[in-house]
Amino acid sequence: MAKFGPKRQGPRSDIPAKLGRTHRQEHLNLTTTHNGHHRPPPRPPRRPYPPSLIPTHPKHPLRLGPGLRHVPPSSILPTVAGQLIVNPHKTSMWIESNGGRYTPSPSDLVIGRVLRSAADLYYVSLSPYTPPASLPHLAFESATKKTRPQLAPGALVYARVSLANRHMDPELECVSPSTGKADGLGPLTGGMVFDVSPGFARRLLLARSRDEGGVEVLELLGAEGVAFETAVGRNGRVWVGSESVKAVVVVGRALKETDEGRLGGEEQRRLVKRLVREMR
Amino acid sequence: MSATTAPEAALSVLPRADGSAKYSYAGYTVTASVNGPIEAQRKDEHAQEAYVDVIVRPAAGVGGTRERHLESLLQSSLSQLILVKNFPRMLIQVVLQVEAVPDNDYENTKLVQASLNFPIIPALLQTAVLGLLSAVVPMRATATSTVAAVVFQDGAKRVVVDPSPKELAAARSVHVLAFTSHDELILAESEGDFSVKEWDDVYDAAAKICCQSGAGNADTAMDLDGPVNAGPDMRQFLNSTLEAKVAADLYWK
Repeated sequence: MAKFGPKRQGPRSDIPAKLGRTHRQEHLNLTTTHNGHHRPPPRPPRRPYPPSLIPTHPKHPLRLGPGLRHVPPSSILPTVAGQLIVNPHKTSMWIESNGGRYTPSPSDLVIGRVLRSAADLYYVSLSPYTPPASLPHLAFESATKKTRPQLAPGALVYARVSLANRHMDPELECVSPSTGKADGLGPLTGGMVFDVSPGFARRLLLARSRDEGGVEVLELLGAEGVAFETAVGRNGRVWVGSESVKAVVVVGRALKETDEGRLGGEEQRRLVKRLVREMR
Repeated sequence: MSATTAPEAALSVLPRADGSAKYSYAGYTVTASVNGPIEAQRKDEHAQEAYVDVIVRPAAGVGGTRERHLESLLQSSLSQLILVKNFPRMLIQVVLQVEAVPDNDYENTKLVQASLNFPIIPALLQTAVLGLLSAVVPMRATATSTVAAVVFQDGAKRVVVDPSPKELAAARSVHVLAFTSHDELILAESEGDFSVKEWDDVYDAAAKICCQSGAGNADTAMDLDGPVNAGPDMRQFLNSTLEAKVAADLYWK
């Protein structure tokens, strides 16, 4: 039988009370799973994972990331095809996979497009054909009724998901509620947005995306002297901004080709050399 | 002809869809595109669960009553597989485009009487499941499916798995069965005259194809003289397709 830790109220109410699950945790965990955690082979949804695979801790509750389902009393079942990753240090486990549509979860960083403005909030699209997320007019750094940013339909914002559950449309914020600082969030002006796969966006968001995510193109382009800035949204969007339009296009193409061509380290180096040569 | 080649599948073949799959087996080729969870139309919206919309497009012409019936069968099966309660008020759209159907050299294909198109159901269901897996839609289980016919041959009854069009025309009864990866029966449709004993035989034959995996494979592959002609190991096929997908997704690890 799998043992779970003491009860803990998770941030989401739609999960069994025994399991505190935070999706933010997934980010943090991804950065720590690189060296030598147990990785069983992939398997389709079928039988519960054996208790020997499930991490236990006397104090901390078990955290389930995306792709796993808890069936009371003690079965953990996969729901998607992917690789199970277990982090015994954080008593967490999740399924790593790529593809599919973005489902908002709290404290994700996303890039949204403003659809329209209502009385006191903006409706923001996170992915096509999904219900719009709401972004209050006052959820920007030092925004008041008079000094709030005026966003036209089509404007881009870099925001954090503040509320997401399956029964409500997601809510966004561009300001940290505790410090009142923007921390890099807010309207994105200039530049271009490129669509990448959700898995690639997650790799870019890793704290050390070069070592752990295997994405080198951004560092390589920077080393070649291309000046640009990027913002990565978990919803599979990357914004690239730069003084020169050429640089924006080169960075965007490098990211898209790395994602779609599944390029490894050496291929990425060759791609960057080629793109920089063509740019000059 | 049928059942002579192994099933083939390719995942994520369409660039714009959330998930897609192309599956070909026994002369049928079907492409599925899966989008979801997306916003449902007001009329389809359900307060507690996602609506699974299945659209079957035939190889030629526009869909009719038969396609609507296939859609309703698939819709009820897929709703059982997908964790629909995870996405209230949403829509999961599965579009199945039939691209090729087996050539029929012997039987007149002209439809005299409206009847079910049984042999296409396994291909449609299999493609839909692969498409859903490609779209990373959370599911309770995967499914495998097969079609079997009871034919009289030389005065003896025989269960033929994946029958050819000729065998289908001569069959006393035709059955479609689908099983989840928990070995539960999820779809059972039958047509024609048959006894309970015959249905049990069909069930055993279909379960052997849909529910065995890996270990028992070597045995049945040898057992070609048995009363049931051994079909492919569908679950093994699904597993290997998924393993290839996962390996491709996580190439950077």
